[in-house]
Amino acid sequence: MMKRLTFSLTLWLAAYAGWAQEGYKTLPLNDLSSFKAQAGNWMIVGDVTMDRNLSIHHEAPPVETGKKKKKSKAAPEPEHPVKYTSGQGILLNFNDDQKKDNLVTNWIHGDIELELEVMIPKGSNSGIYLQGNYEVQLLDSWGVKNPGFGDIGGIYRNWENEPAKAYAGKAPRTNAAKAPGLWQTIKISFQAPRFNAAGEKVENARFVFVELNGVRIHDNLEVPRLTGGPINDKEVAEGPLMIQGDHGPVAFRNIRYRLLKPANVSLSGINYEVFDGHFESEKDFKDLKPTSIGSTEQLTWEVAKKDNEFAVKYYGALEIPAEDTYKFSANTGNAMKLVIDGQTISNYYERGGKPVKLSKGTHAIEITYFKYVSWVSPNMGLWVESSNSYPQALHAFSSFPPASNVASPIIVETGNSPRLLRAFLDYNRDRSQRLTHTIAVGDPAGLNYIYDMKSGSVVCLWRGGFIDATPMWHERGDGSFRPIGVVEYLTSKPTLVLAGQSSASLELNNIPDFRSSGYTLDGNGLPTFLYTYRGASVKDKSKLVEEGKVLQREISVENAPAGSQVRIAEGSQIRKLDNGAYAIDGFDYYVELKSAQEATIADKGATKELLVPTTGSVVYQIVW
Amino acid sequence: MKKYISLMALLVGFNAFSQEAEESDFYKIITIPTPETMLLEVGGITTLPDGRVALATRRGDVWMVEDPYMRNSNLPSFTLFASGLHEPLGLTFKENALLTAQRGELTKLQDTNGDGRADVYETIYAWPVSGHYHEYSYGPKIAPDGSMFVSGNVAFGDQEWWRGESRVPWRGWIMRISPEGDMEPWATGMRSPAGLGMINGELFYADNQGDWIGSGGIWQIKKGSFAGHPAGLRWADREESPMTVSAKEFFSKVHEEREQVDGRYLKPENNADEKNPEMLYHAKEAVPEITLPAVWLPHGILGISNSEILEIGEDASFGPFKDQLLIGDQGQSKIMRVSLEKVNGDYQGVAFDFIKDFQSGVLRMSWGHDGSLFVGETNRGWGSAGSTTSGLERVVWTGETPFEMQTVKAMPDGFEIRFTQAVDKASAEDLDSYAGQSFIYKYHSVYGSPPINTEKLGIKGVKVAEDGMSVRLVVDNLRQYYVHEINLPGIKSANGSSVLHGTGYYTLNNIPAGAKLNMTEVSTKRSSASKKVAPKKVAAKPAAPKTSANAVLTTEEIKPILAKNTCLACHQVDKRQVGPAYKDIAARRYTAKQIVDLIRNPKAENWPGYSTEMPPMPQVSDEDAMKIANWIISLQEERP
Repeated sequence: MMKRLTFSLTLWLAAYAGWAQEGYKTLPLNDLSSFKAQAGNWMIVGDVTMDRNLSIHHEAPPVETGKKKKKSKAAPEPEHPVKYTSGQGILLNFNDDQKKDNLVTNWIHGDIELELEVMIPKGSNSGIYLQGNYEVQLLDSWGVKNPGFGDIGGIYRNWENEPAKAYAGKAPRTNAAKAPGLWQTIKISFQAPRFNAAGEKVENARFVFVELNGVRIHDNLEVPRLTGGPINDKEVAEGPLMIQGDHGPVAFRNIRYRLLKPANVSLSGINYEVFDGHFESEKDFKDLKPTSIGSTEQLTWEVAKKDNEFAVKYYGALEIPAEDTYKFSANTGNAMKLVIDGQTISNYYERGGKPVKLSKGTHAIEITYFKYVSWVSPNMGLWVESSNSYPQALHAFSSFPPASNVASPIIVETGNSPRLLRAFLDYNRDRSQRLTHTIAVGDPAGLNYIYDMKSGSVVCLWRGGFIDATPMWHERGDGSFRPIGVVEYLTSKPTLVLAGQSSASLELNNIPDFRSSGYTLDGNGLPTFLYTYRGASVKDKSKLVEEGKVLQREISVENAPAGSQVRIAEGSQIRKLDNGAYAIDGFDYYVELKSAQEATIADKGATKELLVPTTGSVVYQIVW
Repeated sequence: MKKYISLMALLVGFNAFSQEAEESDFYKIITIPTPETMLLEVGGITTLPDGRVALATRRGDVWMVEDPYMRNSNLPSFTLFASGLHEPLGLTFKENALLTAQRGELTKLQDTNGDGRADVYETIYAWPVSGHYHEYSYGPKIAPDGSMFVSGNVAFGDQEWWRGESRVPWRGWIMRISPEGDMEPWATGMRSPAGLGMINGELFYADNQGDWIGSGGIWQIKKGSFAGHPAGLRWADREESPMTVSAKEFFSKVHEEREQVDGRYLKPENNADEKNPEMLYHAKEAVPEITLPAVWLPHGILGISNSEILEIGEDASFGPFKDQLLIGDQGQSKIMRVSLEKVNGDYQGVAFDFIKDFQSGVLRMSWGHDGSLFVGETNRGWGSAGSTTSGLERVVWTGETPFEMQTVKAMPDGFEIRFTQAVDKASAEDLDSYAGQSFIYKYHSVYGSPPINTEKLGIKGVKVAEDGMSVRLVVDNLRQYYVHEINLPGIKSANGSSVLHGTGYYTLNNIPAGAKLNMTEVSTKRSSASKKVAPKKVAAKPAAPKTSANAVLTTEEIKPILAKNTCLACHQVDKRQVGPAYKDIAARRYTAKQIVDLIRNPKAENWPGYSTEMPPMPQVSDEDAMKIANWIISLQEERP
């Protein structure tokens, strides 16, 4: 039996669906000069914390800490969840009855790619309005089972009743929300509505995609009308970015964006010459007469009238609307050469080429396409992008149609009771960190985790769906699966730290003397994992608490040498909060110790570890 | 109407209208009705003491099937016993628990609270895996002392995707694991050991053709055996290893054929003109740890991906083949039959086709309590003959005895063939009723081997036993270690039947000592000799259609040529099987010369969607190869 041969054709489409990093601007948050004046509810601060247990709907005013060391002498009134310190880098809204303006940029945009981080306290509400007109909702939606358009990431409805004017909104595909007070990431790719010369709309506004915490929640979604509470009374080609300020506190940081315009390049007057035969370079057919010649309105390989062993030369006119630097990308079965104004832009096997500066006006373009490997598709695609545009296809649809032969996904759901499934897991989606003895535990209550039976650790947890088993169960597969949803990778290190043992040299999947004894299932179908490690024996059980939003893990260790510990978290930063919880990695998630031991934060250079002695059972929660 | 019938008879062959027997006259295949959405990709199967059958699926579930015999005329019921396992490829019942090999561990599944579902998933022993897709693990088989045997596939290289490698300890090995969870590395040389068998307390395994494995076969494995694939020798120096030969020593004696050009390894290719090809038995002279297969299962004829080995045992409820072995095949969706004997202390024997036309690839077998055979099937990722991708079937003996070679035994001067029914003596005494050839495989790092050194058997005489139940065949060119194909085209039973499967493949690792037949006691008669002139005329090409080498044959005309060259083991005309359909090959628009070259040295890299590599087939004659090539080209469809 033989290995599957994979020939990776670098799919240019992957880059399209991803996130180009060039041309991004960071919105400065050292002052409010990027925004229009407002009532004062928006401010620039240096640090924000939001206690996940306290709702904004309690009465207490927000507290600015650090200024004056106010030793609270018994605080009977409920605390406000939001605390901040002065400084720079974070944009914070604190509205009250008087000060409750929306925040509006003093610049306007059409097409835009936007990414930012947002922190929302318990019970709060805000929204990001593209062009001031189309709202992506922000809400504390932590743990909501069936998210609607009104939950975080939803495209909000409008309030028109007349069917011709109403817009019903669109729910996120999955609830990717994190707990209150954690930083959440949002990425939005937005295409503005298009208007003709008469000012009539000819194309709807469109969310090319929206991602919340790394999870796609909308793809290629048109918004046919204004959503609720717009800044304008009609759709426009350009408008400012607006953030809702009247519904509750919210904080932002790391706001980056890229303004885009259509490239509007056109290719016309294409003449072609087809050469029949097996050619691997231009030299191979330069003395031959073409088998056929002709002209075509659209760039396509189909003029060759066969799917292998041919070359086509196309000559055309490339109309450049404005001087700029242009980048060409190609995806072809075999090889393509691209020449503009006599200058070779991309040769044979390069997929595109270096960016090239082109003046406004008509340029001669010469494209040579070779096809000689029988088993690859003859498809040929050519795209161009300016310094600030989405890529634009220059080829006919049928020359490079979307792949239709991809495998149907094999999705595993949890159903009504917990579902366990073993497979390899690529830690952090990294094939070089493949864990080989991992098991996913899916709980219908909403939170799932993966346990590594070679290290006795909870390596990640997530909410969303359960498992995409396509990588394992399609054809031969590769033995691995992928969690579906928002995934938080926690650690690939063993949990148990025996006294006197160095963990520095531990390899993945290979911890000497670590022996799994498997697991037992309780009456609810939840596993207790069992293992021994150098004389110590461990029982390790997790369950969901707080309506399925929080994972509580209990670890009982016997016969461990005195001074042994369990590692309950690791990260680049571990910060103890006023409410006793620990914020890991700059408010990425919280860890809360529930048993009576004292946790210590150990400094291991670049990483910090949260360690708890193994005296009695260790019980802690991961809140996220 | 009459005309129509005779036309039909011509089209479908003569079976439907003649007395010729078919397999299904003797063995019925019954498909077990399965709930519509249940995907039974069977990786393991075992029968419980209460008669239920347990199945482990490649998707990690364990199902209990109640009354799969359908004795009460009800449909069998399926109950989920366990789930979430990592591609389990074996299932055994022991002491009220089920044992299964997952990719990375041997697991014991127990239902301790009696609700019919496993609540203890105990790791008996976890072994390392690197996470390569091909690192499947199989088993366990339980030895009489209670220890358990599991086997593990090799991985393949990254750049050297053709090269089996052992990335972590004990891949490409068989491990012995005690009930207490102590593991002892037992033997290596395995490449793709999907088939384990515990036969009378002795361990056997089947491997699949690939690099270093010229063809599939069955090996007996003792502690420290080396079956031939060198990847696992990487760990031979370890303290726990029972191996006496290291990888370094091995490659000092056997050429690794691993060459680099510009930093890239070259894929080794078969050299059809090789002067002194290495062969496993010859390498054994330098590396005595090498264990020869007890029986070669010629690739493309007796399977292409051999799987489970199961003993028929003493029970006569499965027909006249007591104590013989069954061996499944995934790619060809069939079961072969093997009869072993011990000569000079080692097993060797003969293999036959037995039952074909299962609905999907045969991976696992288990005996039911009524003597019928449960067959677990899956072909996902490899393709197979048959109409489905997976399923569960059952084979029941009808009680009729087929006319078969019951067994073939080696004799100092030939073979003794024992039949299940008395032969017609006239046919049996005619040397023209017998034919055959012998051949062997190369031992090299190339994927698979063509049969080489092929030579016709010199059949010099035959002695038919008084009772007509056996014959002794005198062959004057026996070759030790070679596979001897024995063909009985002219043998009839006393009641006029042909042998149901008229070809056996005997692996002659040892030629027994003993008395040879005196040529005076044997028949040397040839019916062809008595007809003197006439047969030559018959043998001469019929004057009719004079086909030039370039004349394109029709599909009906090419089929016997494809069958003769074992092409149909993997290819169909217009449907993907193990390899691509001939129509898909035609669509590549190769020239005839390119096709002939590709038959000689296939390019697996041309077919990335197919995973089982085609072996080089230089043994296909130039004439046949050209006919096949021209026929394939004739399947091209015009581009619209």
